[in-house]
Amino acid sequence: MKGLTHFLSGAAVASFFPEAVRMSGRDVSSSFILVLGGLFGIMPDTLDFKVGQFFSKADYDVETDPNRPDPQKMAEGIGKAMDEAFETGRCVKVQLYPIRMGADLWRQYVIKFDGEKNEVVVVINQIVTTSQVPYLGTEPKENRLGRYRIKGKMLETHGRPSVVDIMSGPQFGFRKTAAGEVEVEFLPWHRTWSHSYLLGLFLSVPVWLLASLIAGWSIGWLYGLIAFLGFSVHLTEDLTGHMGGSLFWPLQKTRSNGLSWFKASNPHANFSVDYTAAVIIVYNLNRFAAEPVFTTNPFGFFLYSWFIPMLAYFAITKIFGRKGKDVKKGLVEAEKAIQQEELAYEETEMATGDAG
Amino acid sequence: MNLPLLIIYAAAGTVLGSFLFVIPSLHFLNLSGVIIALDLLTGHAIFPVQEPLTAFVFFMGMVVSFAIMNTVPSMFLGAPDESAVFVVLPGSKYMLQGKGYEASMLTGIGGLMGIAFLLVFTPFFFYTLPKLHKVIGPHLHWILGLIIAYMLMSEWPKGTGKGATSWQKFRGAWANLFAGIGTFVLSAFLGFIIFNKTLVPVRMGFQGLLPVFVGLFAVSSLISAILSRQEVPPQHVSKSIDIDYKLLFKGTLPGCIGGLMAAYLPGVTGGIGGLIAGHATAQRDDRIFVMSQGVSKVVYYVGAFLLYFVPTYFFVGGKGQLRRGGMAINLSAFYKPQALQEYWLIMGVILLAGAISYLLLSFNSRWVIKLVGRIPYQKISWVALVLVLLMVFLMPAMVSGELSGATLRGGVNCLLIMAVSTCVGLVPIFFHCRRSNCMAVIIVPICLNMAGYGPQIASFLGLS
Repeated sequence: MKGLTHFLSGAAVASFFPEAVRMSGRDVSSSFILVLGGLFGIMPDTLDFKVGQFFSKADYDVETDPNRPDPQKMAEGIGKAMDEAFETGRCVKVQLYPIRMGADLWRQYVIKFDGEKNEVVVVINQIVTTSQVPYLGTEPKENRLGRYRIKGKMLETHGRPSVVDIMSGPQFGFRKTAAGEVEVEFLPWHRTWSHSYLLGLFLSVPVWLLASLIAGWSIGWLYGLIAFLGFSVHLTEDLTGHMGGSLFWPLQKTRSNGLSWFKASNPHANFSVDYTAAVIIVYNLNRFAAEPVFTTNPFGFFLYSWFIPMLAYFAITKIFGRKGKDVKKGLVEAEKAIQQEELAYEETEMATGDAG
Repeated sequence: MNLPLLIIYAAAGTVLGSFLFVIPSLHFLNLSGVIIALDLLTGHAIFPVQEPLTAFVFFMGMVVSFAIMNTVPSMFLGAPDESAVFVVLPGSKYMLQGKGYEASMLTGIGGLMGIAFLLVFTPFFFYTLPKLHKVIGPHLHWILGLIIAYMLMSEWPKGTGKGATSWQKFRGAWANLFAGIGTFVLSAFLGFIIFNKTLVPVRMGFQGLLPVFVGLFAVSSLISAILSRQEVPPQHVSKSIDIDYKLLFKGTLPGCIGGLMAAYLPGVTGGIGGLIAGHATAQRDDRIFVMSQGVSKVVYYVGAFLLYFVPTYFFVGGKGQLRRGGMAINLSAFYKPQALQEYWLIMGVILLAGAISYLLLSFNSRWVIKLVGRIPYQKISWVALVLVLLMVFLMPAMVSGELSGATLRGGVNCLLIMAVSTCVGLVPIFFHCRRSNCMAVIIVPICLNMAGYGPQIASFLGLS
C-alpha cells in the first residue's frame, strides 16, 4: 500500500477511541493525538526508506563509466553475484547506481531477470532529464545490451524488469532456496526489521512514557496504544501485497511472502482504503460528538456514505477503466532492444547455417 | 434582479481577468482589491449600490478566468502562484517536449471538468457539506496537522546513495530532506511573523500575503529560469489533444478531491490538495497529473467562493455560512446571499465564465507560445521579473487608491518581505526538495491558531 493509505488508516484506527476523539475537539483540549496514529501508520516505510536502506551493506557495487557504459560488464557483475549465492549458499547483495551524465542528465538503463532463459539482461536506454524526459535518439547505437547466463536456476518473484534512471538505484539480494534455486529479492532491506509488530510495541513504549510525563499517567497509555495500533495497521495492510514482511523480527528474521491480492501501487485498492478510512473517521467523529449530527443507524450511514459511492466508483472504473497494463516507456524501449538483438542473433545464425 | 446587466458584468469580469491574468503574479485577490478600492473612491461608479450582485458576478467571472488562465504565466513564463506550483514540473516536461500548448489545454479541459463537478455535486453542498462541517468543524486543527505531518513524512530521499560508508550515503541522501525540513521551518517562522507583525499596511488585508507568495513561488522560479539558461524548444500547436474519456475520469477524480479539500480546509491550497489526492488515487501518468491540477485549481478557487452562496437554511439549525477564500471574505461586508435563486445565478455565471475562459485560454496560449518562440526565454524571465517587482511595489498604492509617501514606504516594505520569501523559496529549487514545504507559511500558523496555541507561540517568539 502507498504511504498515504497507511497514514490515513493509522488515523482511522485512532479515531475508534472515544477519549481520543473527545480530546481532539477544539472545545476540549485541541489535542493532536489522532495525528499520532497517522505518523506511526507511515513509520515502518519511513524507517526503511529514510534510514534502513543506507545501512544495508552491499557485497558488490555495480557501476559503469557514464561516457562508455558497458552493459555486458554490468550483467556479469550481477550474474556473478548470483553464481556466488548459488555456490556458497549465502545471501549476496548487489547495489546498483544511477548513471549521472550532468547536473540534470542521467543515462537510463533496465535490468531484466529472465527466469526462462536463466539470464541477467542489462539494456542501456536513452539519456533523460531529472524530470525523466528522454532525449530521443540518445540510446547507444552499439554495445547497448549485455547478457549473462547464471549457473543455477533463477527464481524471479518481483515480476517485472527494473528501470534505473534518476537519483538512486535499487539493491538486489540473491539467496539460494531450499529447492536449490537462486531467488532474486528486490530491495532486500525493505519490509524486514522495520515491519515487525514487536518493533511497533518497542517504539510505542517511549511514546507512552513521554505522553505520561507530559499529559499524565492516566492518559499516557492511550498515546502509546494509538502509536502501536497505527504501526500495526501498516504491517497488516502490507500483507495484502506480494512482499509481506518480517512480522516478528527479531524472532523471525526472514521476510515472509504476502497474500498477493494486489500490488502495493494498485490505484483502486489504495483509493478504496483511503476513502474507507476517511468515512470511518467522519463516522467516529460524529458518533463520539457531544451532539451527533448524523443520527441514522450505522447501516444507513455506511450505505449512503461508503457503499453507494464505492459502488459508483467501481462501476465507473469498470466501464471506463484502461484495459491491459500500464508499462513504463523505458521498459518498452528495453524490450524492443532485446527483441532486435535476438532477431539479429537469429539472422546471423541462419546466415551461418546454425539455426535450429 | 436585472439579469441582462448581471450577464454583462459576469462577461466583463471574465474577459478582463482572462487577459490580465496572463501577467505573471497578478492574483485575483489583488486585482479585486484594486477594483473595490476604485469603486469606493468613485462613489460606487463601478458596481451600482441598488444591484449588489453585480460585484459578485463580476468577481466570480474573474475568479473562474483566473483559475483557468493562470496556467499561462505559470507554465510558459515560469512564474507560478501558490496553487500552480505543482503544475510547473510536468508542465516544464511538456514544454521541453514542445508540447506546452497541449499541456495548457489539458489544464483547461481539467478546469471545465471541475466546473461540471461543481454543478453535479451541488446537492452535496446543500445537504451534506453543512452537516459535515458541523461534525468536522471542531476538528479542523488536527486535520490540518495531519496534512502537515503527511507533507513532511512523505518526502523521500533523492540522493544517489553513493558513499564509502553507510553514514556518508545517509548524509548524502538526506541533503534534500534536511533542506525540505529547513524550508518548512523557515516558512512557518515567516508565516508567524507575517500573521502577527507584518510590515505591510494593515489595510491591505489579504493582499498582504502577495509579497510572501510572490517571493516564495514566482520570483524564485524566475531567478531559477534566468540562472539555468534553459532553452525552450519550438512549440507545436496541436489541432487535437491526446485525451480520452478514461483519462478524463482519471484526471477528474483526484482533481475534485484535492480541490474540495483545498476549498474547504483553511490554509490548504489547490496544489497541496491535488498532491494528496494524487497520492490517494496513486496516479502516475503526466497527462492525468496536469489535468487533475486544472480540475483542482477550479474546484479550489471557484468552489471556495461558491460555498458562500449555499443558502443559510441548509445549515444545521438554519444558521451558518461558509466563508472560504479571500474573495468571499473581502465581499462578505457588502452583501450576504440568502436565496437559492442567487446560488443558481452564480452557478450560471460559472458556466458562462468557464466557456469564455476556455476559449480565451487557447487564444492566449497561442500568442504567448509565439512570444516565447521569438524572444529568448531568459529575456522573458527578466521582463516577467521586472513586472512582478513593480506589481509588488505598487500594490499598497493600488489597494489604497493613492500614491503617497506612506504607500511608497509600504511598497518598499513589500519588496523587503518578498526578498526574504524569495530566499526561502530558492532553497527547494537548489536542493531538490518539495516546494510545497513553503506552504508552511500559512498552514502552520492557521493550524496552531485554530488549536489555540497561536498566541502562546507568538508570545514565545516575541511577536506579540
